[in-house]
Amino acid sequence: MLAIRNGRILTAAAPGAAVPPVVEGGTILVENGKITAIGRDLAVPAGAEIIDATGKWVTPGIIDGHSHIGIEEDGVGWEGSDGNEATDPVTAECRAIDGINPADTAFEEVRRHGVTSVMVAPGSANVIGGQTVAIKCYGKVVDAMVVKNPAGMKAALGENPKRVYGSQNKKPSTRMGTAAVLRGALLAARDYMRKKEAARSKPDTAVDTNLKYEALIPVLRGEIPLRIHAHRADDIVTAIRIAEEFSIKITLEHCTEGDKIVDYIAEKKIPVIIGPSMYQRSKLEVKDRGFHTPVALAKAGVHVALTTDHPVMPAQYLRHAAGICIREGMPEEVALAAITRHAAEHIGIESRVGSLEPGKDADIVVWDGDPFEWLTKTEVTIIDGQVVYRREKGACR
Amino acid sequence: MLAVKNAKIYPITSVPIDGGNLLIDNGKIVAVGKDVQIPAGAEVIDAAGKFVFPGFVDAHAHVGLWGEWYGQSGQDGNEGSAAVTAEVRAIDAIYPDHTSFLDALAGGVTTAQTTPGSGNPIGGEMLVIKTAGKIVDQMVVRNPSGMKAALGENPKRFHGQMQHRAPSTRMGTAAIIRQALYKAKDYQRKLEAAKDDPSKMPDTDLAMLNLIKVLKGEMPLRIHAHRADDIVTAVRIAEEFGIDYSIEHCTDGAVIADFLGSRKAKVNLGPTLGARSKIETRALSFANAAILHKAGCHVSIITDHPFVAIQYLVACAAMSCAEGLPEEEALKAITINPAITIGVAHRVGSLEPGKDGDFVIWSDHPFKIRAKVERVYIEGKQVL
Repeated sequence: MLAIRNGRILTAAAPGAAVPPVVEGGTILVENGKITAIGRDLAVPAGAEIIDATGKWVTPGIIDGHSHIGIEEDGVGWEGSDGNEATDPVTAECRAIDGINPADTAFEEVRRHGVTSVMVAPGSANVIGGQTVAIKCYGKVVDAMVVKNPAGMKAALGENPKRVYGSQNKKPSTRMGTAAVLRGALLAARDYMRKKEAARSKPDTAVDTNLKYEALIPVLRGEIPLRIHAHRADDIVTAIRIAEEFSIKITLEHCTEGDKIVDYIAEKKIPVIIGPSMYQRSKLEVKDRGFHTPVALAKAGVHVALTTDHPVMPAQYLRHAAGICIREGMPEEVALAAITRHAAEHIGIESRVGSLEPGKDADIVVWDGDPFEWLTKTEVTIIDGQVVYRREKGACR
Repeated sequence: MLAVKNAKIYPITSVPIDGGNLLIDNGKIVAVGKDVQIPAGAEVIDAAGKFVFPGFVDAHAHVGLWGEWYGQSGQDGNEGSAAVTAEVRAIDAIYPDHTSFLDALAGGVTTAQTTPGSGNPIGGEMLVIKTAGKIVDQMVVRNPSGMKAALGENPKRFHGQMQHRAPSTRMGTAAIIRQALYKAKDYQRKLEAAKDDPSKMPDTDLAMLNLIKVLKGEMPLRIHAHRADDIVTAVRIAEEFGIDYSIEHCTDGAVIADFLGSRKAKVNLGPTLGARSKIETRALSFANAAILHKAGCHVSIITDHPFVAIQYLVACAAMSCAEGLPEEEALKAITINPAITIGVAHRVGSLEPGKDGDFVIWSDHPFKIRAKVERVYIEGKQVL
């Protein structure tokens, strides 16, 4: 039993939940890795380990819903870069879980900064990059870190695929080519699915296993979303066009120019994850990147999460991205949700994490002040009820 | 005459003033203080509840020179066609309409040293400019303000790995820099000799003329070095030639803090608000600033824009503060310290009479994430 006592708790619970958004001087009880109770006047059972949060702020663990941690390793270079199998524009058969190194020093660093869950996705070199996975940021064996696998299928529109393949004189070399490759793969997977169905009653027509198409079947069946990298407004619209053609679920990843077509995205009710907004304008399709985008989309009622796209920006700066959204006009509870509950919903793990509520995983962060501030430091990070970081007294961090 | 009244003013070189007034005339600061009288007829900005800081100074950036969304068409930071390009000048490639200047103003940065990149062992001349203007020559505060040199991974990758020519090792890079400086010394001797005998005048060599400015102490060699051994090599070469230098990046500085502190080394730290993109940046940490300051170094914090977007210069200072650098020192590290390092402290870096009227009105202390830049002035003119 673990008790976090007398903190200013920001629960990030949804409006109308049993737990209020803020509990002043509140206590959280944790047992067997789960939150068992949360409230102001909770009795702490004898023998419980106590973390005194007097004068501190407490939030759910921060969640980055779009990241490449462990798969694009920190400070390593080529040897630790495993995010893009850029040898074929369609690599649906690839799985992020097979490229994640739990020894990436970034895991330890982001824990130190209160990040507890992430979705790890293949990169955007390929039109279809492979399966994404949602993991906790603590562990030695990736399989034991998994919260959800697969958590989606990565796709990419815009500059990246046409740069990578166009420069080799291969398809796609245009946005049209990219859309055609994506459609072609989904159609082929659909045919494969149909043939497999038909072979059920006629075993002599059994088709050979095709891993690419097998991996796309959950997308076609609506079991996992296609997570489509799209920066420019026209790429976002293409993503939606293809989703509607195939009646599949999608999420919009990056969505940099989403503010230019706010109403369209809101009307289609497509979840978005936006970022990295703090990063440089590294290419033409991100020339208008900025925090005005998440602010405008959230205001229009779009389901908004934020991303650092780690390591493009390291995930420890996700909370600051939320802070800048607040500066630019986003309500605080929405900004907090964008890096906790909404992020969990975006990647489909909200039954486990994303808010401080009884029954959820005890992924909890104690901060020495307002978690959105540059100057605030992490005191304690807890994952599944286990203290995975505790700042030493007097230490810088 | 322009007057800002009732503000919380941080002059940087003196203690913060509550309810202070700042007077600007002809682009220069004429008075700053609590009891400064505002002359009749002055344009008055009531800044009650606001914070006024000098425009921030980024001692190492590439604003206007490369990066952003311009792609190959805007790649003008590395003249990578040879290992030594001392003849090139950053001023000839700065695009005043570059979006990075708007970013700078959005973050309250009004002065930047814009430098060639680190692809070459010797990259060319850099300069110090204000971050608003249409004609670069009119934006100049100091030109040239230094000669760029680079050690470590970049030159050996740009030349050895990509072009199969020297340098392909750290030894090669050091040898090329030494050789260039010796060549410049020889050229300097020949120029001297030709003073008495014009027939001995050597042909004009722009690269050598530029390097002579370094040998004469007219401008420092600004040496890109991340790893501790590269930093030590930088110091070794600078001391061999008795030249002024600053250490650019200095990522491993904390490892050799005493070595640098005993020399009161000028260190330009950053870019820190980002990924460890290569092996030589493995030690990247905001704690570096506090450790090097404590050791006695002259610490400035840089963005290396575009590697950290320049509007986050103040965020880098705040994060350094969070990691142990006293607030006052963290503020100095983006104002007066870089102004001294890049040789423009007589013009910018603090709010003092006689200095340029470069100031920013903030809605709150800029180390707070919710603080907004409300107005930016350069030489008394509102630019944002």
